[in-house]
Amino acid sequence: MASSEESESPAAPAWQVVIADTLAARGVTVAAYVPDTRLQPILSRLADNGVCLRSLTREEECVGYAAGQRIAGQRPVVLMQSSGLGNALNAIGSLAVPYRLGLPLVVSMRGTLGEANPSQVPLGRATTSLLGTLGIQSFSVRSDAVAEQVTAGVTTLAFEAGECAAVILEPELGGGREGN
Amino acid sequence: MKATDVALAIVDTYPTALCVSSLGTATSALRAASDDGPHFYLGAAMGSALATAMGVAEAVPGRLVVALLGDGELLMGASTLWSVSAYRPGNLVAVVLSDGGYNITGGQPLSAQPQFAAVAEALGGIAGARVQTEAALRTALRELGRPSLIEAELSERAWPGPSPFVDPARVQLAFAANAAGGTR
Repeated sequence: MASSEESESPAAPAWQVVIADTLAARGVTVAAYVPDTRLQPILSRLADNGVCLRSLTREEECVGYAAGQRIAGQRPVVLMQSSGLGNALNAIGSLAVPYRLGLPLVVSMRGTLGEANPSQVPLGRATTSLLGTLGIQSFSVRSDAVAEQVTAGVTTLAFEAGECAAVILEPELGGGREGN
Repeated sequence: MKATDVALAIVDTYPTALCVSSLGTATSALRAASDDGPHFYLGAAMGSALATAMGVAEAVPGRLVVALLGDGELLMGASTLWSVSAYRPGNLVAVVLSDGGYNITGGQPLSAQPQFAAVAEALGGIAGARVQTEAALRTALRELGRPSLIEAELSERAWPGPSPFVDPARVQLAFAANAAGGTR
């Protein structure tokens, strides 16, 4: 007979739990996202914390939806893969930034360290530059140890300073589709 | 029917609704009809207005939320109709100013007739209607189930008047105060 430890499903990597728990502790009420392998454990944990999940059709729509939540007094988070940032730029640059709707973004990186798909590389390489050009600061998470600090800091920038800010989930964290 | 007639029908029928207008004609018409009321006027971000309205609707389920949209606007963000169908906020009404053209850029025609009401009906969970008169619009606003999508066919392309270039800071503050206070 298997021990109770063996019969339990593997725990999610700590950083994914920490990021979700920190978002929830900072009052996040709803998560708008386009599905992604690395984001799924964060989303599952957010749901465990009672955060409403909204799987939407494209990243631009996620930003628009989150903008609506924000102007109505709620605390949304937007999660996307870096390849989706290109889809989201219009809503970020023409809605979230000029209306000063501080939105926390969680961006799962593709196209950088260890990327095998050439088509992912240009947008991955450009992600933080694109955000920075719009005045949005990005903060990398490369280990479990900084996940809470970075996530908490990004929510403070968003919800208190009214500035969009991004948590960048770097490849070193693992948890990707190709197991890297 | 002109764009301002559509906006007036909305604010007359639902004077305490939270409205979200897309860039261009919709924002100008809502400004004119509501005397610059505390609504959310988008100055750009074409294609995002219905998603924004859906976010508001789910954030404040006790208030009615009306999205006033250009037809080119909704064509650009049409996939949000699928999200509305998926999550079905019961306090969301979308009204499309249907004139078949991109007004603010000079009236260039849409390449196809969007058939938004028919699409909404086909998706399921959204009540759709296409109306040609103000009376029919007002009836649809009152009687359609929600979420709903009403295509209001415009017979005249007169520019509503006020500038669609709004001050984001002022818009945001006024809307936030409106959203935080009172109920429908």
